[in-house]
Parts: sequence; C-alpha cells; structure tokens
Amino acid sequence: MAEEARNITDFEKEAEEMTRMHLLGADDRFERTEGGFLDLYSQGKHYEHVKVVRLFPFSDADRYLSIREDGEKAKEIGIIEDLSVLPEETVKLLKEQLDLNYFTPVIQKIYSIKDEYGYAYFHVKTDKGECRFAINMANNAVTKLSEDRLIISDLDENRFEIRDVNALSQKERRRLDLFL
Amino acid sequence: MILYYSLPEKIKQQIPLSEGERIYYAVPVDIDRNACWCTDSWLVVTTGAVLVFSEGSLCETYRICDCKDASAQPRVGGGLLSIRHKGTDKIIAHYSAKHLSRYAYVARGINILISGRFEEVESREYEKTCPVCGRAIPGTKNCPKCSKQGGVFKPFLSLVVPYKKQFFGIFILMVLAAVTTLLNPEIQKHLINDVLKGSGGMRQALVFLGMMFSLSVGIVVVNILKSNASARLGAKISADLRLELFKKYQELPISFINERRPGMLLNEITQDTQYIRQFMEDVFCNLFAVLFIFIWDVIFMMMLNLKLALITFLFVPLAVFLTMVFRRRVHRIFTLQFRKNDDVSSDLQDVLSGMRVVKTYGKEKEESERFKRLSAEYARINRSNETFWAFFSPLLQLIMGLGVLAVVYFGGRDVLGGTMTPGALYQFVTYTNLLFQYISWMNRLPMQLTQLASCLERINDILGQEVEKQDEKAVADVAIKGEIRFDHATFGYKSYQPVLEDINAVIKPGEMIGIVGASGAGKSTLINLLMGLYEVDDGSILVDGRDIKTIRKSSYHSQIGVVLQETFLFSGTILDNIRFSRPDATQEEIIRAAKLANAHDFICDTPNGYNTYVGEKGYSLSGGERQRIAIARAILTDPRILILDEATASLDTESEFMIQKALERLTGGKTTFAIAHRLSTLKNADRIMVIDRHRIAEIGSHEELMKQKGIYYSLQMAQNA
Repeated sequence: MAEEARNITDFEKEAEEMTRMHLLGADDRFERTEGGFLDLYSQGKHYEHVKVVRLFPFSDADRYLSIREDGEKAKEIGIIEDLSVLPEETVKLLKEQLDLNYFTPVIQKIYSIKDEYGYAYFHVKTDKGECRFAINMANNAVTKLSEDRLIISDLDENRFEIRDVNALSQKERRRLDLFL
Repeated sequence: MILYYSLPEKIKQQIPLSEGERIYYAVPVDIDRNACWCTDSWLVVTTGAVLVFSEGSLCETYRICDCKDASAQPRVGGGLLSIRHKGTDKIIAHYSAKHLSRYAYVARGINILISGRFEEVESREYEKTCPVCGRAIPGTKNCPKCSKQGGVFKPFLSLVVPYKKQFFGIFILMVLAAVTTLLNPEIQKHLINDVLKGSGGMRQALVFLGMMFSLSVGIVVVNILKSNASARLGAKISADLRLELFKKYQELPISFINERRPGMLLNEITQDTQYIRQFMEDVFCNLFAVLFIFIWDVIFMMMLNLKLALITFLFVPLAVFLTMVFRRRVHRIFTLQFRKNDDVSSDLQDVLSGMRVVKTYGKEKEESERFKRLSAEYARINRSNETFWAFFSPLLQLIMGLGVLAVVYFGGRDVLGGTMTPGALYQFVTYTNLLFQYISWMNRLPMQLTQLASCLERINDILGQEVEKQDEKAVADVAIKGEIRFDHATFGYKSYQPVLEDINAVIKPGEMIGIVGASGAGKSTLINLLMGLYEVDDGSILVDGRDIKTIRKSSYHSQIGVVLQETFLFSGTILDNIRFSRPDATQEEIIRAAKLANAHDFICDTPNGYNTYVGEKGYSLSGGERQRIAIARAILTDPRILILDEATASLDTESEFMIQKALERLTGGKTTFAIAHRLSTLKNADRIMVIDRHRIAEIGSHEELMKQKGIYYSLQMAQNA
C-alpha cells in the first residue's frame, strides 16, 4: 500500500514538474562533446546530447531557447531567456547547435525566377551561399510572416527566408511580385 | 530515389577498396561545417567503412566494425547523420531537406552492415527534382523532359490506340472542317472578280451567294458534329481511365496506398482524368483541323502572291512574341487576383466560423479593420487588372492587325498596278486573318501537350504498378480454429523504420488477449499484421500452425471480424453497412447481430429503421452509435478471430457496459485481440500483452503483471490515481 502511494505521488510530482518554468543562467555549464553534440551540467546533473530549440524562431530567434533532453519523450531541462547576456564561449557553443538544428538560408539577392508549367525556379544568393531551388506554384509555397517578411518552402521542404521585401531592388521585387 | 550517385573520378580514386569490398551508397553532403551550402562533398558507404569527403578530399573514415547505431535525425530544414564510433556519438554529416529521406535509407543501410548482414537498402520513392536538368518532376517516376522513352507523343498514342475507330471519325470531320474553312475565301474571290468587277449578272451572283451560304452552313454542321464526337470520346476515355484506376487501387497493396498522399491518389482519379477530357474537348478536337488549315493557309498564300506572303510572314515572329508576352502577363495578373481573392475568402471563413471567439473577446473592431485591409487590397488589384485588360487587349489586336494593314497596302498597290485581281487580294486578306487567328492558338499548344503528358504519365505510373498476387497453388481455404503464433515477426511500414521487432507469442484458440502500450508503440500495427493487410518483413505469423501467407486471403478475411478505432460507415443505409461483411445475411440474422451489438434499440428510434441512410450526407449518428453498427458488422460473420481496436473508446460508460456484456457473450470461444487505453475494458482478458518500444515488453495475466510491478503496473497506478 505504501508502495502504491509513493507511485501516485511520483506521477503528481511529474505533472507538477511539467508546469514549472526553469530558467538557465550563468551557473549552468555547457560542454561540446568530441562528436559535435552538446552536454549540459546543471544543478549537479549531467545531461548528454541536449537539444536546443527556438521557441520563437521567426519573431525572436536568439531569445527563449528551450534546452531539452535527448530522445523520443524529451523533457525540458530549462529555458535560456536571452542568448546575448551569456558568456561568449557559451554563445558560441549554442550557436553551433542552432546552426545544426535550423537551416533556413536568408535570401539576399534574387538573380532570376523562371516559371514553367506550374513550377517556379529560383536562382538566389543567400547568407549560406548561392543556390537554386524550385517551388510548386499551386501549393502555398510562400508564407507571409508579416507585410514584408516571407518564408518560401521549396519542393524538398527546405525553407528560405526573405527578411525584408522592401530591401530588394525594384527589379527583384517585380520578379517576386507573382508570389506576394 | 538515388542512393548511389555516380561519383566524380577524383573522389573515386581516394576510396581505398580492399579485396571484395564494394561501394553500397554514395550521397551528397550539401551543408558544410560553417552551415553553408557546399558542393563536391560526399558520404560514401562501402561494405567495410563509412567515408566522409569534404570539398573533394577524404577527411574522415569510420570502419564499420568500430561503429554502432547510425541514425538520421530530421531537423528544421535539414538533418544530421550521427554514428557511434568507438563508443563516442559523432555527427558525421549535415544535409538539407532535399536529402532527408535519402539519409534515412542510408542510416538503415549502415545499420544492416553493422549487424553483419550485406543486404542493400533500396528506395522506391521518386526524386522530386530531375537530377539531370534540375526541373521539378510532377509526381512521376521519370522527368517528363529528360526521359528518352517519353516525349509527348508516345503516351498520347497509347491513349489513342484503343479508340482507333472514334479517332478516325473525328479525323475525317477535322479534314472536312479544314476544307470548308479554306474553300470559302476562294468562292469569295470569284464573287468579287467574276461578278462584282466582271460582267456577271444577278443570277451568277445568287449562285455564288448560295454556294457561300451552303459552305457556311456546312462549316457549322461539321463543327457541331466534330465537337460533339470529341466531347463524347473525351468523356468515354476519361471514364474508362477512372474505372481502370479505381480497380487498380483496390488491387494494390495497402502499403502502396499509404506511401502516397491520399490527395494525390484522389487527384489522379479526378483531376488528371478530367484534364484528359478537357484536352479532348478543347484542344484535340481542333488539333488536326488547325494544323491542316495552317499549313494549307500558308501554301495558298504563297501560291496567290509570293511577295505578299513573305511580307506577311515577317509579322509572324512579332505576333508570336507579343501573344506570348501578353499571355504570360495575363496569367500573372490573374493568378495574383485569384490569390488575393483566396485570401479574402479564407479570412472571411475564419472569422465567420470563429464568430463566438471574436465576440467573447470583443474583437469585432480589429477583425473588421483587418478585413477592410484585405478587401481594399483585392479591390486595388482587381481595378489595375481591369485597366490593363481594357488597355492592352485592343492594343494587341491593333498590332496584330498591322500585318493585315501591310497586306492591304502592298496588295492594293499590286491591284492598282494590275498585277493582282481585287478578288485575289480579298482572298489573301482572309487567309492572313486566319493565319494570325491560329498563331495564338498554336502558341498554347506546347504547354497543353506537356500538361497532358504529365497527366498521362502519372496515370500510367499507377496502372503500370505490378500487383503481387498470392500464388494460387500455394494457398488454400482453411477453416480456422484460432491458434495464433508470432514467430520472430518483424515489420516496418518503411524499410528504414521498424515498428515491430522480434515479436514472439503463442495465443491459444479462444483466448482473449488485451493489448496495451503507449500510442505509437506498435499496437495497431500488430493488428494490421493479424488482419493480413501487411506481410511481415522477417519471421512469420502462423494460424493453426500454418503460415498466414499460405491461407487464401478471401478465406481468411471471411473468418475474422474487426472493429476499429475510427469507425468507417459507407454512404448507404444501416442495413447496407451491417450487411457489408456478409452480403447474403438474412434480415433475421442482421437484427440478431444488431441486438448483440446493442444497436437494435437506437436503430428502432431512427425515422426509417434499418433503412435509415447514414454516411456523409445522411442521418448523423453519434460516435457510440456508429461504433455499435461496426460491431454488428463484425459479428455478423460469426468470426473465429475477433479484433477490437479501441472498439468501445467512444462510448459513454453505460453503453460501454452494455457492449462489454454483449462482447462477453460473443468472445466466448473466439480468439480475441482487444486494444484499449482504458484498462478497465480489459478486465476479462485472459492475458495482457504490453507493447513498448516496438517489442513485447510483458505478457501474462492481470495478476501476474501486477506482481511484476513493470509497465502494466504503473499504467494501472496512473489510471487509478
């Protein structure tokens, strides 16, 4: 009977734990493993291969990062409120993980857009280098985040971002017109 | 999907292959260490090692014998391949979403090699973009532009052959239409030259007018016949294709259906066949007529006056260019308009269906502001489109008319100079008009043909799928007693993702087995295997000691009863739905089954009893009522094996109790598998099977498992807490 009771409180504790918001700070130490993963030492515990998840990937990419356990039923270890106030070394480690977890090239220049039989072929310069991709014009490949910010998903579900449509030249904007 | 790209010579030379070692997989790595796009980087897997090339040179080698657990983890916009090398987990490749599933297959392949086997993983998925020309592939196996055996005409011919006769009839009509169209100007010439300018009297004029009149009537009649015949043939072809596709879908294994998005399968039946019908009506019915007229038009023009003809042809490139530009522009602006219209209506729908939320939070004003903006934007686009249309459409016609103007000018000089008759000039002008009229029509042709080709390819791709039929000699009808044995059964929907691994269990005839486990653990998959919807990848399932594969499907399915989590009722009456499992059941048997399922009483309450129409547009039943009809359907066949997948999940406590009672009566003597989240439903089970992480974690009676204090125990605790 005593055993059953302990079990029930365990569940309660777990449910309680899930509602708590734990902020990570300067006391918590991150360490890069030899294989390129990230370990976390926090409150006397060692977490292997933690995942860094952006809570607001579009509106606030470098704030509110959820640090989560590895595995299928991953639980949150804690939240980093602001990347910029952390020591440089930690920022570097976290940025590396973010780069591995998020690949969204930002389009800086549109060389050409060709449409043919329902597909549009883009040739662009991004912050990750020059590239070509194709989108299906029938699907909603272009999502408007705001009046001047776009996310374009290509056929392979790669995502490309245009931070500010108005920063593009008149010519580039006209090429893009069809999708706005 | 390509898992072995052909490597550049420079890379190949750097792969140290030992005796008997072969390359299995070679895939591009397209993101480098600085998270930038990169080229000429590769991941190569041989039978002995995993090699990583960066910017053309070998930078890491991992021997297979030092490795464990390769895994391809999807991330946002890409993925990571990691491997455990000498006890340390290492990220060895970063790739974009283009290669996500490719790496999933490769990881599976590496794991097979690690386990000491040498099977090569193959992928039946199609590439999304053509590796040769970089164009998007419209859901077909080969790129419509690059595949050599393709072209537009081969699939078109395959479409035509079975309907030779009808096609020939339409062809004759097309030639007739062309001849009548071309003959009219000739007669007009005679009317002008012989009657108006010449010395012909009223009688001769009437003769010519009569001929012109009958030709005009002839054109109309031939065109009506032609359009009619084409429409009929188009409808017939698309109906035949639809039927064939539907039949094929029924024959194809369920894994094929699951691999495709349901939308695509639906599109193939509805949209693609629809397009073929449209093509027959709009394009094909004029195709040869237009080509025929066009060619003869050009010949006649050159015969009439070579100089004038050449002058006219000078305008052709201009006209082609202009129509192309114009059409592209029109296409753009109307797509834009369409999109904005879409925005407006989806916003409207959003607000209307969320009216209660809008009102309770008092956001009416904000919502109307937002809608006003969208609506104004739409109106702006609409207005500018109309302006464009009103301005450019006549302008285009004017420019196209320039050709005619030139003809009249130069031709007029010839007429005045006496080298050309007025009638001939008139005839020539008519031909010129015809020419420009058909240029714009022919301009669209390449696009329409390509579209047709990809429709046909998608359809042929389905029709060409080979269906694995059970070997008639090896199978037999068997009267099932109900003993079931899982013998090292392993299965995954995708080759690289096992859902059930090494399942071993023996179930006695008449035993009731409760299956529990977290969602996604593989419970429903186990049941899919039992139902014979899929075949195990490894190991076997034996029914009464006989491999399930050697029992004739129809015989097996007639002896199992299934009630699934999502109850599916077809559009039809309650009677039809219950009778679905056994069409020859008598009314009495159906009533008895409904009573057993506790469905009879609510059926009596519906307006039309057993004849009440249910389904999408019919009488709406509650979840519990639908479930009870499904149960009646399952027990009508008096099955030897009964499968209940969350059968009573959507019922209220009272009806669940009633059905439990009914099921108790029913399951007596039948081998029963019941999946349930609510453990109380399983209190009658002889044994409980706990599935966790793709395997049977625990199996035994309620008491035994409670004593074990394992997963089942904690589930019980959690539910009673």
